[in-house]
Amino acid sequence: MSDKHRVTRRQFLNYTLTGVGGFMAAGTLMPMLRFAFDPILKDEAGTEMVAVADVKDITTEPKRFDFKVKVKDAWYESEEPRSAWVYKNEKGEIIALSPICKHLGCTVDWNTDKEHPNQFFCPCHYGRYTKDGTNVPGTPPQAPLDRYEYKVKDGKLYLGKAKPRGEA
Amino acid sequence: MKWTAADVELYQKEKDYIDTALIPLIPITMDDGAKTAASGGEFVQLVAGELERQLKGRVFLFPPFSYFLSESRQSLVERLTDWTSLLMEQGMKYVFYVTCDREWKGKETAISDRLWLVPAVPLENMDESYKYELIRDQTSGLLRFFISQWS
Repeated sequence: MSDKHRVTRRQFLNYTLTGVGGFMAAGTLMPMLRFAFDPILKDEAGTEMVAVADVKDITTEPKRFDFKVKVKDAWYESEEPRSAWVYKNEKGEIIALSPICKHLGCTVDWNTDKEHPNQFFCPCHYGRYTKDGTNVPGTPPQAPLDRYEYKVKDGKLYLGKAKPRGEA
Repeated sequence: MKWTAADVELYQKEKDYIDTALIPLIPITMDDGAKTAASGGEFVQLVAGELERQLKGRVFLFPPFSYFLSESRQSLVERLTDWTSLLMEQGMKYVFYVTCDREWKGKETAISDRLWLVPAVPLENMDESYKYELIRDQTSGLLRFFISQWS
C-alpha cells in the first residue's frame, strides 16, 4: 500500500465524527431557521395570482370569468368564488374589472339593462358603470369599479387582487 | 347583508337601501327522512348564501327559520307571519323565503307566493363542478324572481 493515501485510525474517526456531527447540527438548526424566517417566506394570503382564463378567449366584449381564491377567516380557511369581467380595450390592453358594485357590494352584470345598453348594471339600486368601469353620475355608486392586477403567462391570464382604480 | 356584527352595522347606516329580507326555512326531523331533510337544508343554505353574495347591497339574509316537521303547520305559518310583520314594521319592503320543504307551497297562504322552492338533490355524492353549476343555476332563478318582484 502506498503512503500517500494512508489514513490513520484517528484521522478516520475525526472525519467521520465531524461529518456526522455536521449533519446532526444542520438537522436541528434548519427547522429553527425556518421558523425564524417563515413569516417572510410565506406569501401573503390572497396575493397569489390565480389562472383565470386563456388569453385567446378574451374579446373586446366583456365576458365573465369565475375563479376561486383561498381566504382565511380567523381559523376557518375556505375557497371563495370570485368573478371578473374581462375584455380587451381598443389599444389591445386587457381590462379585468371586479363585479362588486362600489355602492353596497352587489354583483354587477354586463348589458342587462335594456334602456342603457353596453354598460355594467347593478340590479339592486340601478347603479350603472360605463365599459371601462367608470360610475355613471346620478346613479348610486360614487366610485369606479375596482380593477384586478393581472399578468399574462404562457397564454393564460392570471388575476391577483382587485384594487381601486388608479392603484392597479 | 348577513346576520353578523359588521353587516348589521352597515345595515343601520344604509337602512334605506336594504329593503329585502330573505329567510331560509329549514325543516328538521330525526326519523327516516333525516338525511333528505339535512341535504335539502344544506342546499337551501348554499343557494341563499350565494344569492346574498350577489345581492348583498339590498338583501338581508336572516338566520334560518328552523322547525321540526312534526310541528303543527298552522302554528308554523303563524310564527312565520309574525316574523314577517315584525320585519315589515322595521322597514323591510319585501320578505322572501327559500326552502326545500314542499309543504309550504301546497297551502295558499300569504307565504306561498313569496316562496322559492329549491329541488331536492342528493348533494353529498355529487361532483364538485356539477354541484357548483347546480347552485349557480338555482341562484340565478332566485335572482330573477327577486328582480321581477322588485320592479
